[in-house]
Amino acid sequence: MNNNFDPAAHKMKSGLEVHHQILTEGKLFCRCPAGLYTNKHDAEILRHMRPTLSELGEYDGTALMEFKTKKEIIYLLDYDTVCTYEMDDTPPFPINQEAVDIAIEIALMLNCKIVSEIHIARKQYLDGSIPAGFQRTTIIGVDGWVPYKDRKIHIVQLALEEDACREISDIGHVVTFKTDRLSMPLIEVVTAPEMVTPNEVAEVGRIIGRLLRSTGKVRRGLGSVRQDVNVSIEGGTRVEIKGVPRIPLFPALVYNEAYRQHNLLKIKDFLTTTIGSIEDLKADEFDLQAIASKVSHRLIKKSIEKRDAKLRGVVFRNLKGLLRMTTQPGLTFAHELSERVRVIACLDQLPNLLHTEDVSVAGLEPKDQQLLAKAMNLNKNDTAIIAWGSEQDVKTAIQEIILRVQEAFGGVPNETRQAKSNGLTDFERILPGADRMYPDTDSPPTAITLERIEKIRAQLSRPPWELEKKYTELGIAKHQAEILALHPQRAVVEAVLAKNAIDPKLVVWTMIDLGKHLQRQEFPIQLLEASHWEKVFALIAEKKIYREGLDLLLTFVAAHPEEDPEDYLAAQNITPLLGDNLQKKIEKIAAPNRNLKLFDDSNWPKVLMGIVMGEIRGRAAGRDIWDIVKNQTR
Amino acid sequence: MTTEDLKGYRGAAKELLLRENARVWGDVTIATNQGEFKGLILPRSETADDQHIVLKLSTGYNVGLHVSTINKIEEIGYRKAHYKIPEKIFPPDPEKRNVTLLGTGGTIASRLDYRTGAVIPAFSPGELYGAVPELVDICNLKTYKLYGEFSENIGPAHWMGMAQRIAEEITAGADGIVIGHGTDTMHHSAAALTFMVQNTPVPVIIVGSQRSSDRPSSDAALNLINACYAAAYGEIAEVLVCMFGPTSDQYDLLHRGTRVRKMHSSYRSTFRTIGERPMARIAKEEYIPMRTPYRKRGGDASQMKIMPVFDERVSIVYYYPNMKPDIIDSLVDNGYKGIIIAGTGLGHVNKPLYPSLKKAYEAGVHIYMTVQTLWGYVQMFVYDTGRDIMDLGVVPLDNMLPEVAYVKLGWTLGQTQDRDEVKKIMTTPIADEITAREPIDGYLVMQGGLPEVDYYFKSYKR
Repeated sequence: MNNNFDPAAHKMKSGLEVHHQILTEGKLFCRCPAGLYTNKHDAEILRHMRPTLSELGEYDGTALMEFKTKKEIIYLLDYDTVCTYEMDDTPPFPINQEAVDIAIEIALMLNCKIVSEIHIARKQYLDGSIPAGFQRTTIIGVDGWVPYKDRKIHIVQLALEEDACREISDIGHVVTFKTDRLSMPLIEVVTAPEMVTPNEVAEVGRIIGRLLRSTGKVRRGLGSVRQDVNVSIEGGTRVEIKGVPRIPLFPALVYNEAYRQHNLLKIKDFLTTTIGSIEDLKADEFDLQAIASKVSHRLIKKSIEKRDAKLRGVVFRNLKGLLRMTTQPGLTFAHELSERVRVIACLDQLPNLLHTEDVSVAGLEPKDQQLLAKAMNLNKNDTAIIAWGSEQDVKTAIQEIILRVQEAFGGVPNETRQAKSNGLTDFERILPGADRMYPDTDSPPTAITLERIEKIRAQLSRPPWELEKKYTELGIAKHQAEILALHPQRAVVEAVLAKNAIDPKLVVWTMIDLGKHLQRQEFPIQLLEASHWEKVFALIAEKKIYREGLDLLLTFVAAHPEEDPEDYLAAQNITPLLGDNLQKKIEKIAAPNRNLKLFDDSNWPKVLMGIVMGEIRGRAAGRDIWDIVKNQTR
Repeated sequence: MTTEDLKGYRGAAKELLLRENARVWGDVTIATNQGEFKGLILPRSETADDQHIVLKLSTGYNVGLHVSTINKIEEIGYRKAHYKIPEKIFPPDPEKRNVTLLGTGGTIASRLDYRTGAVIPAFSPGELYGAVPELVDICNLKTYKLYGEFSENIGPAHWMGMAQRIAEEITAGADGIVIGHGTDTMHHSAAALTFMVQNTPVPVIIVGSQRSSDRPSSDAALNLINACYAAAYGEIAEVLVCMFGPTSDQYDLLHRGTRVRKMHSSYRSTFRTIGERPMARIAKEEYIPMRTPYRKRGGDASQMKIMPVFDERVSIVYYYPNMKPDIIDSLVDNGYKGIIIAGTGLGHVNKPLYPSLKKAYEAGVHIYMTVQTLWGYVQMFVYDTGRDIMDLGVVPLDNMLPEVAYVKLGWTLGQTQDRDEVKKIMTTPIADEITAREPIDGYLVMQGGLPEVDYYFKSYKR
C-alpha cells in the first residue's frame, strides 16, 4: 500500500447503501415463506434479458452493457420457497403490509420524512439476478439523519424492496441463480456522501447496523446484510463497491478505491500530455488469425488447438507505458482492461489478454513479441494487446478494450465494482442511473395515512446510543450496555430496573451473560418471551431463587416454556433457606463430612462449600452460605 | 395552464396545482409539513385518488405527497418526458422475403399510460422494430397499424377488417402475414380468421406477448422474431398462433387457429393446442413441423376465399347446476339466433331447461352442444339425457372448443339462416375445429409431485 496517499487530502467523499433483510413471515409481493434457504431444486427455467426504455424514454447504460454480454440465465426453482410470482409468470400480489410497517418504523428511527403515498417502481437489473429483469422497490422515507461524532450524517432515502437471487455460477455465457432468497423483503438505507475518511465509513456503517438491529425486526445471520460503498475523490466519479458483507472490510476498500481514482486521474494526465484528446487516439485493430498458429505462448496455443479460438489484437499508437501504470495497489491499468473483457466479452479464463508491456514470465516471450510486432506493425512507442476466444467474444473483447481506453481520457468511469476479501475490487458493471427506474404498472399507488405513521411513531424505541447511555448511568458495564441496547427483551429489563428491587448487575448478568452461556450449550434461551423473563425476575426479586440456582431455573424454563417454573422449584425442593434454617441445614450437611480425609486441612471450608452448594444451590445467597461454611470446624 | 399541464389530476390535487401555478413535468421544490421534497411532477393516474401529487425524485423513484401536507410548490424548471422508441423504416433487402405486420394492439405493442398507470397499446409496429432490431435479419417488414385495442375490445368488426386487409396484402404479394394481437382473445381471432381467410397461399401468424415489451424479461421479442420467421419461411400456410412453448426462453409453438386456447391468466406458455399436437415448433430459425397434413405454402392466390361475414346474434351459455330456463328464454326474447351450450360431461344440461330449449328451437334458434371439459368429445348417446336433448333439436359439435363454436356459428349465420345449411357448415370441419380422432397425446395435463413429472421438471427447462 502506498503510505503517502491520503484520501482526505484529495477530498474523498463516501456514502453507504445498507441493505438489510427484515423479519417478516412472508415475501414482499407473494405469499411464499421468507427466510427459508434450501439446496434442493425441483425445476429450472431459462431466460434472457433485453434492455427496455425508461419511463423518460432513455436506455440505461448498464442495461445496454448487460445486453452485449448475451447471457443465458438459468434459475433453479424449489417447490417450497418459490411460486410463479418469482418466476415472473404471475403478477404481484398486494405489497406485504407487515413489511411496510417495519420499513416505516425504521424510517422513523432514521429521522426520515415518510411519504404519503408509496409508488412501486421497477429497478432494472439485466444481470439476471431477478427473473423479471427488474426489482420491485418503493420509497418509504426520505431526508433523515443519524448522529455521528458532533455532526449529522444525512440519510437520502429509505426504500423497501425485494431481494434478488443468489448466484451459483457464472461461466462463459451461462449464469445460474438460486431463487430461494428472491423476493424476501429488505430495506435499503442510503446515506449522503458525507464520510470523508475510510474509517468514518466503517463507523457510520456500525451505527446504522446497530440502529437497525435494535428494532429486533431485521434478519440476522450470513447474507442478511449487504452494503454498497460509494467512493469519489476530487476530479473523480462516484464508484459503487457492491455487496460488501463485512464492515471491517470498509476502510481498506474505501482507501484503495480512492487510490485507484487518484491513479486513474494520473492516467488521464498521461494520455492528454502524451497524445492530446480522445480524437487523437489511434487504435488499430488486427485480425491475427494468419499468425495465430505461430504463437508459442502456452495458453494461446492450447485455446487455438482445443477450442478453435480466434486471435485478435489492438495497437494503441504512442501509448507505451500506459498498461504498466498503477491503479490499485499491486495492479496496473492492464487489469482494468482484463476485467472489462472478463465481464462483457465473457472471456473468464484468466489471463484473458496479453500485452507487449508485460515483461514477467507469464507474459509474452520475446519470440512472440517479435511476431506480433511485425504482424501489427508495432513502433517502439506503441503498446499492443491481444485476446483470444470465440470469434464473437474476441471481437467484443477488442471493442471493450478500445472503449475502456477511450473512457480513460475522462478519468474515472462510472462503475459498479465487486469487493474482494483482500480489499481490492474488480469491475462488475457500468453504474446504473436513474434511467433504469420505471413505474410498476402492475401495482396501484398505496396511501400511508398519518394515523398509521403516528401509531408506529408512538411505539418507537429510543436509538441504541441513547439506551446505552441510560444503562451505564444505572451502573451497567459498557460492554453489557451495548448488548442490552440491542436485546429484544430489553423492555423487560427496563421494567425490572424501574422497580429497583434487584441489583441491576444481577439482572443484566442473568439475561446477557448467563443467557449467552446457556445458549452456547444449546438451550434455546433466545426463544424465551417477555413473560418468561418477567417470571424469572419476579422469583429473584421475591428471593425464591438465588443467583447460584439461576442456571437450573433458566435451563428448565428454556426446555419447558409452557410450565410454571415455581412448580419446578417446589418439585426440586428448591425453596429458600432463611436464618436459622440455613444454619441448621449447613450443619446437617457438614456433620457426616467432618471426618473427610484431606491432604491439606486448610482446604476444608472450600471442600465443604462444594458439598453444601451441591445440595442447596440457589436456595440462599452464596455469600450467606459461605459466611456460615467458613466457620464450620472440622 | 392546459389540460395537458394537469394531466390526470382532479379535485383537491388539481386545485392545489392551479393555486400554486405548478404543472405536470415541472421540476419543483415542494415544501410540506414533513419537510422539503424535490423532483419532477408526474401525471396522475385517473383511477387514483385526488389527494396526492406524484413526484419523481432525482433517484428515479416516484412518491406521492398528500395535498394537505403541502405548503408551497415552486417550479424551478420543466422537463417533459418523450417516451418514444425511434421509429425505424426497414432497410429493404431484395434477397429477403416480404412480411406484412398488422398491429391491432395488445401487450406485444404496449407502453405506459400515465392517465391510468397501466399499459396501453401504443407502440406502432415501426417502434416495435426499433425495439427488436433482429427483425432486419429475417425479412423485409411492412407495417400497418390496423387498430389499437386491448384484445378484450376486439370483436367481429375487427375480425372482418383484419380478413380484408390480409387478403389485400397477400394479393399485393406478401410472403407472409404477422398480426400483433392482445393475448386474451387471441384464440377467438385465430378461429375467426381461419374461417374468414381460407386457402391462403402464405402463412398468417398471430402473435402477442404475456409479459409486455417494456420489461427486460418480456417474451415479446422472441415471439415476434419467431412469428416473422414463420411468416416469411414457414411451410405451413394456415392461420396459426405463435407463442411460447415453455415458460423458458427457448422456442415458440405454432398452434392451428381453431384448436388453440389461452389456458393460464399470466404464464408465458399459456397457449396450448387442445386435443391435438401443435403444428410446429420454432426456435432460432429452426422450424420443425410436428404433425401432418397441413396446407403447404405456395397455393394459387386466386383460390383464396375471403368470407368476412358475421352475425352477432350468437351467445355461449356455460351450463351450471340448477341453471334456470329463463336464461335461455331471455336470449330468445332478445332476438338471439344462435346458442352454443358448454355442457357438463359429455354434453348435458338439466331437465328444467328442456321446454325452453324446445321453445328456442321452434323460434328458429340454432342450438349446438360443446363440452366445458374442453378436452374430449360431446357424446349424447351414452345417457338418455343426451338423447332427450338431441330430440329437442340441439346438435352435438364433437370436440369443437366452445369459443370456436361461438365464432363459427356467428360466421355461419352471417352466410345463411337455413337450418340444414347451417348444420352442414357447422359440422363440416374447415381446419380441424372438429377432428376425427383424438391422438394418444392430445390430452396432457400433468400433475406435479409424481416421480416421472418431477424427473421431467428437473431435467428440462420448460
